[in-house]
Amino acid sequence: MKIAAGYVFSFWFEAVFLATVIVMINRARKGMKIPEIYKVAGLDAMDEAIGRCTEMGRPVHFAPGIGDVQNAQTLAAMSILSYVAKQCAKYDTDLIDTNRNVIVYNMSEAIVKQAYIEAGKPDAFKPENVRWISNDQFAYATGVTGIMYREKPAANLLLGAFWAESLIFAEVGAAAGAIQIAGTANTAQIPFFVAACDYCLIGEELYAASAYLSREPVLLGSLVAQDWGKMGGVVLIVLGTLLVSVGSPFLKDLLAK
Amino acid sequence: MKKEVPLAICFIVALIYIVSNYFTGVEFLATMKDLLDKWYLSVDAIVVAIGMVNLAQIHGRRVANKREGWLFSLWLMLCMFGMFFVSIFWFKGTTHVGWNFMYNMIISPMNATVYSTLVFYIGSAAYRSFRIRSMEAGILLVVAFVMMLGRVPLGALLLGGNQAFASMADWLLNVPNSAGMRGIQIGAALGGIATALRIMLGIERGYLGGTGE
Repeated sequence: MKIAAGYVFSFWFEAVFLATVIVMINRARKGMKIPEIYKVAGLDAMDEAIGRCTEMGRPVHFAPGIGDVQNAQTLAAMSILSYVAKQCAKYDTDLIDTNRNVIVYNMSEAIVKQAYIEAGKPDAFKPENVRWISNDQFAYATGVTGIMYREKPAANLLLGAFWAESLIFAEVGAAAGAIQIAGTANTAQIPFFVAACDYCLIGEELYAASAYLSREPVLLGSLVAQDWGKMGGVVLIVLGTLLVSVGSPFLKDLLAK
Repeated sequence: MKKEVPLAICFIVALIYIVSNYFTGVEFLATMKDLLDKWYLSVDAIVVAIGMVNLAQIHGRRVANKREGWLFSLWLMLCMFGMFFVSIFWFKGTTHVGWNFMYNMIISPMNATVYSTLVFYIGSAAYRSFRIRSMEAGILLVVAFVMMLGRVPLGALLLGGNQAFASMADWLLNVPNSAGMRGIQIGAALGGIATALRIMLGIERGYLGGTGE
């Protein structure tokens, strides 16, 4: 048994990263001080968006993206859905959750139902509000467009893995008069969300959402480790640039091992 | 046990995947990974039936109560179940000429139609966002102007054949845009790894339903 060729450096980098995550989580569990994380406007606006829906008597629309359950962005979206569903249950606000992937639909239904049960309002859960539209990308886009035009949500939460349909959702949400909070790690879609939505979570901010919203020290600890990993990446970039500039391929060869 | 069993399954399966990706020479791991991939595909196909039941319930209720737009719900159910039964009992596969006809002549053109509406949405998004409300918005407007002129022949025509706009557009794409995208990708990749680790170790349990507590 040996490490596959081309994966040696990434294996050790991930091992160090895993160790950092575990150390920071343990520090948080013991109540030791962990650094503060910066404010993320989109996440702070989540409660404001749900409150707007409650006041206007209009539903919240949540789309966890079109990625499948293996996609980390979808799992991050599920964590956010858990928070949003809990808030909607607390304030008796309708939550319409549209899904493209059937497995994700099943997870969403369980999450939303559990949120209503934990809020003490199991009868308020409406199964018809958690919907599977279609496995086909643009059939899903068309279905969501129709739902947004008919239901007129006051908040449109687009969080997860999106592709070409991202701008369709953002523009239709704007036409419906919704406050829009979007977030994706797909770099090609981020510009559309930034241009068309009120708030946008860029890349890693989507993954930070569950920790940020719950403020659990253990989850916040892993965020700090994430930032340290990023700093390690920056150090490698600077060192690599300097070394290659002076003609040394050492770091380049090391990363390719 | 309701929470512990799924967490244990998640940890073991994730560990198998990670180890089988990084390590070679262990036949058992490669076999397990292939088996898990096949199981996932099978489950993915089977749960489509659950989705169809959900759609039938929602739209069936709409048709039964004759709510607004019930004709569209009826049409949806006719198309969904029609395609389902015809594909299974008549076409019996995706190689039949009838199935190819329905896909190439109905589904594909409809997908292309919806995709093409993006051009209008880009226009409306550009109209809403390209306004000089702040310094960042002003920079966005100028850069968008340069990019658009650099990508169409009109840019060179306006400058009497000079490719300055095209060169500026290429530089903007290859230098600042690439740098920004790569930075975001590095951050997102690390975020994805951290999220996966939290889920694998059972620290983040939002996907299990409720608060995971």
